[in-house]
Amino acid sequence: MDEWKPNPAVKPHKKRSWYLAWKYKLMNQRALRKLCQTGAVLFLLVTVIVNIKLILDTRRAAYEEEEESAQDYDDEMLNVEVPRHPVNNKKVLDVEVYSSRSKVYVAVDGTTVLEDEAREQGRGIHVIVLNQATGHVMAKRVFDTYSPHEDEAMVLFLNMVARGRILIFTIKDEGSFHLKETAKNVLKSLGSQVAPFLSWRDMWTFVGKKGGEVYGEKHAKSPALSTWGDPVLLKTEVHLTSVEDAECHWPDTELNRRRKRFCSKVEGYGSVCSCKDPTPIEFNPDPLKDNKVFDVPVAVIAGNRPNYLYRMLRSLLSAQGVNPQMITVFIDGYYEEPMDVVELFGLSGIQHTPISIKNARVSQHYKASLTATFNLFPDAKFAVVLEEDLDISVDFFSFLSQSIHLLEEDESLYCISAWNDQGYEHTAEDPSLLYRVETMPGLGWVLRKSLYKDELEPKWPTPEKLWDWDMWMRMPEQRKGRECIIPDISRSYHFGIVGLNMNGYFHEAYFKKHKFNTVPNVQLKNVESLRKDNYETEIHRLLGEAEVLDHSKNPCEDSFVPDTEGKVYVMFIRMEQEADFTTWTQLAKCLHIWDLDVRGNHKGLWRLFRKKNHFLVVGVPASPYSSKKPSSVTPIYMEPPAKEEGAVAVPAVAAAEQT
Amino acid sequence: MQKINRNVVLALLSLTSLVFLLFQLCYYKFYLSQKNGAAFSKVRGSQSGQDSTRWHVVRKFLGLISSHNIPVYLIDPLILGLVDKDIEQIRSSPDGPSPECKYFCAPRDFTTFALLDKTWKHEVGLFRTAEKMGFQWLKIINKDPRLDGMDDLSGMEIPLHYIFKLASHAIHLVVFYERSGNFLWHGPLRLKQHMDRKFVPFRKLHFGRYPGAYEKPELLLVSIDDLKVQIPKNPSSFLQEMSHSRFLECRYREARAFFQLYPDDASLDAVEFRKKAKSLLHLAALTLNNLGVKFWLSSGTCLGWYRQCNVIPHSKDVDLGIFIRDYKADIIPAFQKAGLPLKHKFGKVEDSLELSFQGEDDVKLDIFFFYEEDDHIWNGGTQAKSGKKFKYLFPKFTLCWTEFVELKIHVPCETLQYVEANYGPEWKVPVKTWDWKSSPSNVQDNGVWPVDEWDDVIQIY
Repeated sequence: MDEWKPNPAVKPHKKRSWYLAWKYKLMNQRALRKLCQTGAVLFLLVTVIVNIKLILDTRRAAYEEEEESAQDYDDEMLNVEVPRHPVNNKKVLDVEVYSSRSKVYVAVDGTTVLEDEAREQGRGIHVIVLNQATGHVMAKRVFDTYSPHEDEAMVLFLNMVARGRILIFTIKDEGSFHLKETAKNVLKSLGSQVAPFLSWRDMWTFVGKKGGEVYGEKHAKSPALSTWGDPVLLKTEVHLTSVEDAECHWPDTELNRRRKRFCSKVEGYGSVCSCKDPTPIEFNPDPLKDNKVFDVPVAVIAGNRPNYLYRMLRSLLSAQGVNPQMITVFIDGYYEEPMDVVELFGLSGIQHTPISIKNARVSQHYKASLTATFNLFPDAKFAVVLEEDLDISVDFFSFLSQSIHLLEEDESLYCISAWNDQGYEHTAEDPSLLYRVETMPGLGWVLRKSLYKDELEPKWPTPEKLWDWDMWMRMPEQRKGRECIIPDISRSYHFGIVGLNMNGYFHEAYFKKHKFNTVPNVQLKNVESLRKDNYETEIHRLLGEAEVLDHSKNPCEDSFVPDTEGKVYVMFIRMEQEADFTTWTQLAKCLHIWDLDVRGNHKGLWRLFRKKNHFLVVGVPASPYSSKKPSSVTPIYMEPPAKEEGAVAVPAVAAAEQT
Repeated sequence: MQKINRNVVLALLSLTSLVFLLFQLCYYKFYLSQKNGAAFSKVRGSQSGQDSTRWHVVRKFLGLISSHNIPVYLIDPLILGLVDKDIEQIRSSPDGPSPECKYFCAPRDFTTFALLDKTWKHEVGLFRTAEKMGFQWLKIINKDPRLDGMDDLSGMEIPLHYIFKLASHAIHLVVFYERSGNFLWHGPLRLKQHMDRKFVPFRKLHFGRYPGAYEKPELLLVSIDDLKVQIPKNPSSFLQEMSHSRFLECRYREARAFFQLYPDDASLDAVEFRKKAKSLLHLAALTLNNLGVKFWLSSGTCLGWYRQCNVIPHSKDVDLGIFIRDYKADIIPAFQKAGLPLKHKFGKVEDSLELSFQGEDDVKLDIFFFYEEDDHIWNGGTQAKSGKKFKYLFPKFTLCWTEFVELKIHVPCETLQYVEANYGPEWKVPVKTWDWKSSPSNVQDNGVWPVDEWDDVIQIY
């Protein structure tokens, strides 16, 4: 800064502004001026720094905000939800249907929804149901109307389909041999011109709306008995309706929303989707007084048999004392329809990626389901295990509630089962009676958590072992001499006909005539006598009062047991050692009860009913109860059939019944 | 002229600077008060007295849930902190009317409640009623961790958090689930893509940053500020628990990958050993918990948890860690009383303490005591025949809860560093022969015990 020299010649000027005056004043005070300048510079510096800091702070705060909401609270997976079906506003569907001897297919708008060219399979009439508003496939069925009774199943199914749905039919190979008049009339009523005249090895395709128009039909007659009709290909267009027209107008409740979701997706469940008078999906059965199994989880083991699952869950949810919150359905595979059924009833469902094949797959599914059940309900001491092809008795939970304390207290028990292998219509009588048996029947049973966690889970058969889980559980290494409690009259009913180890013939022979309790609130008799030692006392008492039957008669004859009611009879059969079941198996055959392996025994003793009398069978001399045999009686011995017959597989053994 | 200019420039610069500074201050304050309300609004609240919005929202919410018979309890740490100070008074007069609104009137963005999943049925009706009452609500769902450990099971997603918002206040409802090991678990709060991330200031929530593990609380029905609510019977221990509640899920996916590479040993011996190790661990946990001694899975047991979510069948013992500051003289008698005789004791409380108890059939329980230094943590080892000392160094760690063989148990939160310190970068490869003196990658020689101390520091039974 230059030196400033005062000039006395210059006088203060009046015109000078205040500013200049101030300036001069300042200039006059040099020190002050300097101070102000440095002050201003300092201030400038400080404000610059503070400003920068503030900017940084706000930046950081904003960044942190982003960071945190981005990192801490964002789901790591991008759950972009892809709509399952592309929304399309098209009003017309192109439908192609092909029928021939060895192949059928159906394509909707270019998408193949059915294709079957497998050999020796899929014979008969294939039926597809489409939603008239969306064009989605709601049901797919095949009825082998070459075989008897399949046409009845088809009629049943067609009657269940709601009005307005689009039905597509096509024949593979042969579909007319057992297509009876009733079925033909139903097809005729759907608008088919050809159906009444369908004959041997004709090819046929048909597309129509239930209760409405026909979109197309093609038919090729078989020229001769030994040849098939020419393949036919039907191409047609179907006009879609609006969604409102395709849905029922139920009152808007939570339940009906579930129903609506279900009914717009699948078909073939009958009255549950009826617009006028739909069958309830909530049952509210009477609660059970002093219910000991209210908090016991229920695992329903299921595969891809949604109609079975539907029937099963209905009966389960109608049973007194059921607690829907404890039910989990485990589905083996990513099938949609079973899951739809589970959601219809508002239950929780878990899907399981299939591991391994055949029996091992079932076995792995069981393991995963049981482990998951105890994970989901860590407090539970037990789990009820059910399968999708069982009807559940109305007093199922009452039965368990009255007996479950035994499983908790009696170490010698392996399980409680709702199923009596020998409880057929003609061999079971008393709903209040329980037995102890050395075999594990399954088909609705209670598993103790400690048994599963400490013994079964760690050594469960691995996926490469093609074992049946139930056979494995019955092995002595697992069962270790423990027994199961079963009722005389089963609390479950096995209705499954289709299954891994099941076919119609087998079912008819062994399951159809099984007795099933329908009486509610049965008070079980003398539950305490089922404890290990008490049971022996009970058996000795029974044997003591039992009348010895006439061993000179043929035990297979009806006259073997006198025409009385309510008495106790005993017979003695030959049983050389613990594993000698030769005579028992023959007896079981002629009594038309389970004879494929030994079931229902307790120390060489079997208990059942004949002609409403309690009927005891004791194996002599292996059974400890042999001492009850009067010395005059010779145990009955029954010869097994000749070897080659006996060695044949299961159905043949069952057939041997006749001989 | 030059001089004038300089001054003018300086003055002008100062002025602009001042204006800018003021602007910045205003912006900062505005921004902060919006983003970090608590700090500011607290001051504001105490100045302007009480804010009844919160109280009204809480009352409405309590009305809503009681009309649907859903039992919730208060877990808001700020309120429980206040309640804890007056707990005696609140307990003694459960129905007394409050003279002033003390707890629910401090203006906050949230009030936090807990709900036990098994006590309600997920009725949709609740949300309809909530909407009718004017609440906006948000549900945060995610995978069910109880099925996570299972091969290939996929269940429905479960609700982990609900947020009910009314006016300027929101209720955060944390859903607790029962897990194997007899404890309660709540999930983390993670927003999915399509969710409104501005629904509430999520980062200010007290629960949800991490999953948490809690004991089942005993509840107490109290009336505070004329509202009847359930609170944990002992708020201070709940708050204590809350500060250490972080939960780590086992790495099930990695464990599955491990078993693909190295199939699990399914032999009868392995099954038997696992069973014994599990029951030994249960017994040890019971004993130490009764003493109130904090412990964690260490060495091979920790590796088993981290690598394969199970006991390593060839490990032959169970290893636990305890901080030396938590050492109690009762530990040895307590284990002996539980049926686990002392097998050996190496070192002393001041240095390298290590205890070993004999479990059923050759399964050994090793307890290592950990000594904290400024920048690391270590535990000691002793070779019986030579009196040699070893030191195993670990980076500093904190403790988290996890679920292991049906137990709620501690593991180091920084598990990877812990395992790597012990087993080196190759910890993923199973090794059957392990020498504790040379194999660990964090071992250091630590001299020799003086011979005259041997009787004390090397005790073998």
